[in-house]
Amino acid sequence: MNSRYVRLGVLWLLLLTVPWWLPLVGGYTQLGTRVLVYALAAMGLNLLLGFTGGLSFGHAAYYGLGAYGVGLTLKYLAPSTPLALVVGTLVGGVAATLLGPTLMRRRGVYFAMITLAFGQLFYFIVVRWNNVTGGEDGLTGFVRQPLHFGHYVLPLHDVAFYYLVLFCFAVATAIMGVLLRSPLGHTWVAIRENRRRAQFLGIPVERYIWASFAISGFVTALAGGLNAMLNNFTSPLDLYWVLSGDFVIIAVLGGMRSFWGPLVGAIIYLYAQDYLSSLTDNWQSFIGLIFILVVLLFPRGMLGMLRMKARSA
Amino acid sequence: MELLLFDAFNGLIVGMFYALMALGLSMILTLNSVVNMAHGGFLILGAYLAFTLEPYLGFWGALVAGPIVAMVFGLIVERVLIRPIYKRDDPVYSLLLTFGLALIMQDVARTIWGPAGLPFAIPDALNSSLSSSFFFLTGYRAVVVAIAFFAVVGLMLVMRYTRIGIRIRAGIRDLETVSGLGVNIYVLRAVNFGAGCLLAGLAGVLAAGQLGLTPTMGESLIMPSFVAIIVGGVGSFLGSVLGGLLIGVAAGVMTTYYPAASDAVIYGIMALVLIVRPRGLMGQEGMFE
Amino acid sequence: MSLLRLQNISRSFGSLRALEEVSLEMSAGELRAVIGPNGAGKTTLFNMVTGFFPPSSGTVWFADRAINALSAERRTRLGIVRTFQITEIFPDLTVFENLRIGVETAARSNALPWMSRARRAGLERRVDELLAVTGLADKSERVVSELAHGDQRVVEVAIALSLEPKLLMLDEPTAGMGDEETDNMVSLIRRLHDERQLSILFIEHDMDVVFGIAQRITVLDQGRVLAEGTPDEVAADRRVRAAYLGEAA
Repeated sequence: MNSRYVRLGVLWLLLLTVPWWLPLVGGYTQLGTRVLVYALAAMGLNLLLGFTGGLSFGHAAYYGLGAYGVGLTLKYLAPSTPLALVVGTLVGGVAATLLGPTLMRRRGVYFAMITLAFGQLFYFIVVRWNNVTGGEDGLTGFVRQPLHFGHYVLPLHDVAFYYLVLFCFAVATAIMGVLLRSPLGHTWVAIRENRRRAQFLGIPVERYIWASFAISGFVTALAGGLNAMLNNFTSPLDLYWVLSGDFVIIAVLGGMRSFWGPLVGAIIYLYAQDYLSSLTDNWQSFIGLIFILVVLLFPRGMLGMLRMKARSA
Repeated sequence: MELLLFDAFNGLIVGMFYALMALGLSMILTLNSVVNMAHGGFLILGAYLAFTLEPYLGFWGALVAGPIVAMVFGLIVERVLIRPIYKRDDPVYSLLLTFGLALIMQDVARTIWGPAGLPFAIPDALNSSLSSSFFFLTGYRAVVVAIAFFAVVGLMLVMRYTRIGIRIRAGIRDLETVSGLGVNIYVLRAVNFGAGCLLAGLAGVLAAGQLGLTPTMGESLIMPSFVAIIVGGVGSFLGSVLGGLLIGVAAGVMTTYYPAASDAVIYGIMALVLIVRPRGLMGQEGMFE
Repeated sequence: MSLLRLQNISRSFGSLRALEEVSLEMSAGELRAVIGPNGAGKTTLFNMVTGFFPPSSGTVWFADRAINALSAERRTRLGIVRTFQITEIFPDLTVFENLRIGVETAARSNALPWMSRARRAGLERRVDELLAVTGLADKSERVVSELAHGDQRVVEVAIALSLEPKLLMLDEPTAGMGDEETDNMVSLIRRLHDERQLSILFIEHDMDVVFGIAQRITVLDQGRVLAEGTPDEVAADRRVRAAYLGEAA
């Protein structure tokens, strides 16, 4: 037990001090923020994918809806960062919740197909509704607003914004952590391990999958909203199926069965993407190659492999 | 009225492409239990290769060669990449694998042939209209309809009456039992995958002549094909075909009245079907439940 | 008290009559075996009692209550719990975690997003009890998929036990087991029956096991009840010997 707390302590210490050490290794604060955003999105997805066994290949939809929720709020509704985040999270989360019933009885690849298709549905809605969303060109004209604490105003420059994202990350991961250690979390894992057996225990499996789907949608939507504020921009690419695939590979690469797997995956994947795109025009092929290699050679992901080594030791 | 017929007919043609793609996807989905995200890649493989070979083989030669190359490549992919992961019980892996393959295929196509659209030459003889009152009924479009029709019917006949077709259908229901009966399921799965890719390649060549040739055409045709399968019903090949035609025509008709929503209507139909009749129009109960 | 009563149960699948006018009555606290050649309808009987499908005709009574219309989940909550021929457990979880699901289910707390430490400790105590009863205490932290087949089947019985069954139905509990594992399972079944007065209905092919522990035996053959009685009565029954025991001997 002690080692767990030590590892957590080290992790949070590192996360809290990113603006200091990341530039020293050739990075910059904004990159750290990006990693957190993607990690949060993938961790939200992983609640469903890795812990409940629901294969969603359309989670970018909720991410993008969160992004547009934030952008549209800031642009048309009110210049308030907290409000925008709440709206964005709700829009994406509610969309996921509403979709749940259509998916509940399906499993495996068919479940994935439906999530994929619904992802595209939202993509097209956003693209076609261009007088509101800006269409293919994306949504501009909004900027993340300073935070107001009574009289004190905190402008959200790079470093301050990083801490806002880290705060949201902390809250979201704390909630997910509590959930996964609760009976609800145990039930989700049981469903993942043997859906039939869970059913034969009398557990109404569909409802639990729905709950997991909905909650994961809220978390991923929050990530999307934060991303919109990071870039002060969002576009339909934030809802595109390729991004959905990115979230899945991040979760798998880091280790689907580990809570922090997606964080590890996000670090590796974003670094690889950055590095490869600066190296060659054909970075997309190399990204595709990563997908294939991970599947064939590292299916358990980084943390999964570490765990296996620890077990056999 | 003429505009409506024009749009509807265009939609029917596109629907044929969806149908061919959906049929191949459905075969691979049900027997190989793989969502072939790279199906669009096989489509463009067939199309671009036909384009490259056309100067040497002519239109008809390219029409035959393109799908065959797609099929061969599909057989290689199945053997090298997909077979190792059949025994994995989590479908996420096959999805990620074909996803990565799709990324690679699209990028390679873009690199070799460029990101711009390329013109795919169809014989002059087919270019002219067959009817004075329906100008859009060109010879080429008639050929597309005919070839797609015969391909689908041919496949249905193979499925129903040939030994391998029957084995594939039995395998879809219960692969373990079929294997236990002594059938070589490795060959079965390979043939099935190859056949699916053949259809994708065929769709690609036909679509190239109609829609032009771009690296993104695979992407834009694969998503509606998924919808076609959902609408038509998983487990029903005929359903996938009809689903494809249905959404193609629906999208076509929509362009007459409200062009902005013409691709969204495809997903609208899907949502409607999922709510009202979740197993699809012709789907079987109990598939993937 | 009559715990389980099958009243003229028939079940057809198309033209196949799997069960034909089967009547059976089992008292609370009884240890009953169901035997018969392959295809006799034993598993069909189990499936029907646990609610996978209704009988084509006839009524199933559980504790003097007609349960034909009840779903499988409902029956589980009522106390009819079964294990399966093919081990159905939660593979990547430890023994402890496997049992914990059952305990949480029995405590109706599956959906709780949070649980107080006291309550959590209470549930964990229950898991420890189950581990002790089934002899799995030393393996509680082992991942179930890595256990020997025999131990896995014990885990499965333990999961069933965690649901606090009133009627425990074991489908071929010793299937695929070696001698030592079989002995282990047999003594477990005996313990559960003797110490906890648990009502147990089990399907078995191993006649040593059956005649070793069963109080009463029901013999099925081609969907019908061929004979029923104490082990001695059944062993002496000529029809049974002809149809079944004769071949096996």
